[in-house]
Amino acid sequence: MDLQAIAFYTLAAIMLAAAGLVVTARNPVHSVLFLILAFFSGAGLFVLLGAEFLAMLLIVVYVGAVAVLFLFVVMMLDVDFVSLRSGFAQYMPVGLVVSGLLLVEMVMVSGAVASSGAAAKVKAAAVTGRSNIEEIGRVLYTDYVYFFQAAGLVLLVAMIGAIVLTLRHKPGVRRQNIADQTARTRKSGLSIVKVATGEGISE
Amino acid sequence: MSVGLPAYLAVAAALFTIGVFGIFVNRRNIIVVLMSIELILLAVNINLVSFSMFLHDVVGQIFAMFVLTVAAAEAAVGLAILVTFFRNRGDIAVDHANMMKG
Amino acid sequence: MNAFLLQYLPILVFLAVAVVLGALFIVGAWALAPKHPDPEKISAYECGFNAFEDARMKFDVRFYLVAILFIIFDLEVAFLFPWAVSLMKLPHATGLFAFWSMLGFLGVLTVGFIYEWKKGALEWE
Repeated sequence: MDLQAIAFYTLAAIMLAAAGLVVTARNPVHSVLFLILAFFSGAGLFVLLGAEFLAMLLIVVYVGAVAVLFLFVVMMLDVDFVSLRSGFAQYMPVGLVVSGLLLVEMVMVSGAVASSGAAAKVKAAAVTGRSNIEEIGRVLYTDYVYFFQAAGLVLLVAMIGAIVLTLRHKPGVRRQNIADQTARTRKSGLSIVKVATGEGISE
Repeated sequence: MSVGLPAYLAVAAALFTIGVFGIFVNRRNIIVVLMSIELILLAVNINLVSFSMFLHDVVGQIFAMFVLTVAAAEAAVGLAILVTFFRNRGDIAVDHANMMKG
Repeated sequence: MNAFLLQYLPILVFLAVAVVLGALFIVGAWALAPKHPDPEKISAYECGFNAFEDARMKFDVRFYLVAILFIIFDLEVAFLFPWAVSLMKLPHATGLFAFWSMLGFLGVLTVGFIYEWKKGALEWE
């Protein structure tokens, strides 16, 4: 057993254990932290496979952004999380049965696919001397241009959707508008009135 | 590579299963359901990347990038809906979420 | 063991050292520190009173909006990296197409950026 196999089994075990704790932890903050651990180990598996760019992307996007988003939401909502776990034991048997069946099916299918179909096609890598990120860049923006533009639109929709859903301006908040302040002239800020004696002025 | 394709596929299958199990047992806690969906998408990504690296075809990694994009967008909008729901209702018990029936 | 993974060996060593060192300090503190707890010592203390409320404070929703916008632009940058690496190595016509396809992508996201700017999502009241 070489170092690579040891690294694979260690990372896979950590990832699966962390994933199990994500779904069973009592405190959702712990769930988020275990989610981060699971994604970190997943990135380690990607490095073992040789997909460096996606491994780094997983860390930057998931650990750096998505997990932080989850953490914000968990800390933002003042919810009694204990009461949300009330159905846990009740749903446990059917969940175990369904997911166990799913696991058996998928392991059988993937075993069959890997031994008959795909494994036969596994061949030695053509030595190109290009890095992983360059291989991706060579096809992503040209051969897959429609998918690429669709990804841009998905991001646009997510951005607009998030703003529409969560942005609420508090009424009555006075903001400083620096452009207005500097554009103010003597004419707009000052008016001279003649006041008749004993009458005062009104707006 | 000393670890073959079936090992990676088995790990991805196990991770997928844990995600499905999480959706089942945490039906009332929508935040953990969303996290389980992220786990499922990670399993899909492991499948895509391992096939891509073993068959020496970079397309799998391209699709993994798109899955990543969609997963991030889904988390953003899903949590935004959750925040709005919490603001209107004061809790996040989604099994009572029948407001949208009108 | 191939040469590619050997480049990552230092990270593995670094990680192992970090884990061992962190565990050592925690276990050391737990094993060596004197501990004589009694109920008064471990109860919450707030200027002579019992604690009035939970020490945790809710986060403001505005942090969440900033985090979402960060994710979107994070992914935008993630798509820029392979483009930056491979653009000059593509043949001329293909490279030009890749250049304009990226500009289209950036244009779409700029529309979103202008929208959020105009809506005041970046203002901090």
